[in-house]
Amino acid sequence: MAKEIIELIVNGDRYEVAVEPWRTLAEVLREDLNLTGTKIGCNQGDCGACTVLMEGRSVSSCLTLAAEAHQREIVTIEGLAQGPEDLHPLQEAFVEHGAVQCGYCTPGMILSAKHLLDHNPTPSEQEIRQGLSGNLCRCTGYSKIVEAIGAAAAKMAPAGEGE
Amino acid sequence: MLLPRFEYHQPASLDEAVEVLGQYAGEAAVLAGGTDLLVNMKHQAMAPSHLVSLAGVEGLDQASADGGRVTVGPLMSAAVLAQSEFIAANAGALALGAAVLGSPQVRTRATVGGNVCNARPAADMSVPLLALGARAVLTGPDGQRQVDLEEFFVGPGQTVRAPGELLSALEMDAPAPGTGWGYQKLGLRKALEISLVNVAAALSLEDDGKTIKAARVALGAVAPTPILAPGAAEVLVGQAAGGDVFKAAGQKAAADAKPIDDHRGSAWYRREMVAVLTARALNQAWARAQGQ
Ligand SMILES: Cc1cc2nc3c(=O)[nH]c(=O)nc-3n(C[C@H](O)[C@H](O)[C@H](O)COP(=O)(O)OP(=O)(O)OC[C@H]3O[C@@H](n4cnc5c(N)ncnc54)[C@H](O)[C@@H]3O)c2cc1C
Ligand code: FES
Ligand code: FES
Repeated sequence: MAKEIIELIVNGDRYEVAVEPWRTLAEVLREDLNLTGTKIGCNQGDCGACTVLMEGRSVSSCLTLAAEAHQREIVTIEGLAQGPEDLHPLQEAFVEHGAVQCGYCTPGMILSAKHLLDHNPTPSEQEIRQGLSGNLCRCTGYSKIVEAIGAAAAKMAPAGEGE
Repeated sequence: MLLPRFEYHQPASLDEAVEVLGQYAGEAAVLAGGTDLLVNMKHQAMAPSHLVSLAGVEGLDQASADGGRVTVGPLMSAAVLAQSEFIAANAGALALGAAVLGSPQVRTRATVGGNVCNARPAADMSVPLLALGARAVLTGPDGQRQVDLEEFFVGPGQTVRAPGELLSALEMDAPAPGTGWGYQKLGLRKALEISLVNVAAALSLEDDGKTIKAARVALGAVAPTPILAPGAAEVLVGQAAGGDVFKAAGQKAAADAKPIDDHRGSAWYRREMVAVLTARALNQAWARAQGQ
């Protein structure tokens, strides 16, 4: 069956890829673009390991056809740090607060947190937990993740907002 | 779990979409957000050989009001509906249901048209639409027809939509002044949960701000399709709004419900919860109808 040429804008870079229509965005990111920071866990929308931002909103890339991402802006975990020594405040907070154990859920957690903070820079603990309701972690028990996101929000909030 | 193979079509207009759908009648499925369809395909529950994506069809993701009629585009996502001031003001129950559907990731993609066409008895946007008195506008090779949502749902996963038809809009009457809405969802968990019971209510008050002019209560997960509770509406109309009459309506709604026992909850418990959630949804609707 014919492959379609699609154009993806991932972390600001433009890629042209030939994809079969049944391949998901998660598969194409990992296998064709070698952006393996995006994980595949359940492959059916339940766990959030595959979370990326599409046009600024979080999506499960395992339930999004690559073809449907044609000419859309995608942000993956690889797009957050400015350099090896220059982590995004969310990444820094995850490290500082011990919010990473095996790390499998971490890219998805951080992108869900970014989606949350982009729309609500000063979330309550309850709002943080709701923001993570599509992401499962089987290691940390969530508390440290919630703390890390709260700390990152405080650091990122413009002076005068939040605590 | 890989997706089975299929051919992908992205028509640029509604007419073209109907044409492509007709060309592959019986072998094609419509793709909106894919949060039901792609899961079902991964589970091999279905294997359409053609997917007709609506992503390229313009105008399906807009809402508008015109001459006393409110139109909601089928491609509007739960995330957009939950945040839209227009929807909050004109079809508030839908915004409330959309806000508690799935997870943030699911809400980005999940569309209202997909929720309705998928026809699950607990669907978080379908139950509110029933309380809003919505009509499904279907476009097919022979033109358009309108079906009241009550008649649209036939059974779990089953609707009156013909395979060659598209849901091209959802329509409803604009709300009367003094109308408010409520939505209550009970699950075993707080998120990512298909409801054990869900209830949507719409309540309109007379000019005196007290007497109930019109009411609709819709129930989810207590019958093979989302259903209306006509008994509840009946006891409400003409009465002064308040806790006692809402409680009575809850009892009537419980009588209208036809729940079953399953692994998620017993019929008895579901019926009890219909009564409780109906009263809560009505209270919520009342507060909003009074402009609070
Ligand atoms: C993790 C997860 C959690 C979920 N949680 C909830 C929940 O809490 N509450 C809830 O109600 N649902 C939930 N769902 C189900 C699903 O997200 C919703 O039903 C959603 O609204 C479906 O919309 P969609 O655009 O993704 O539909 P699709 O998957 O694209 O389509 C669903 C069906 O409708 C058909 N269809 C879609 N649009 C049209 C149209 N315009 N005309 C004709 N046919 C059409 C498709 O062919 C398909 O058969 C969940 C799903 C997942 C994966
Ligand atoms: S891998 Fe996509 S949600 Fe689990
Ligand atoms: S750190 Fe292991 S799954 Fe979250």
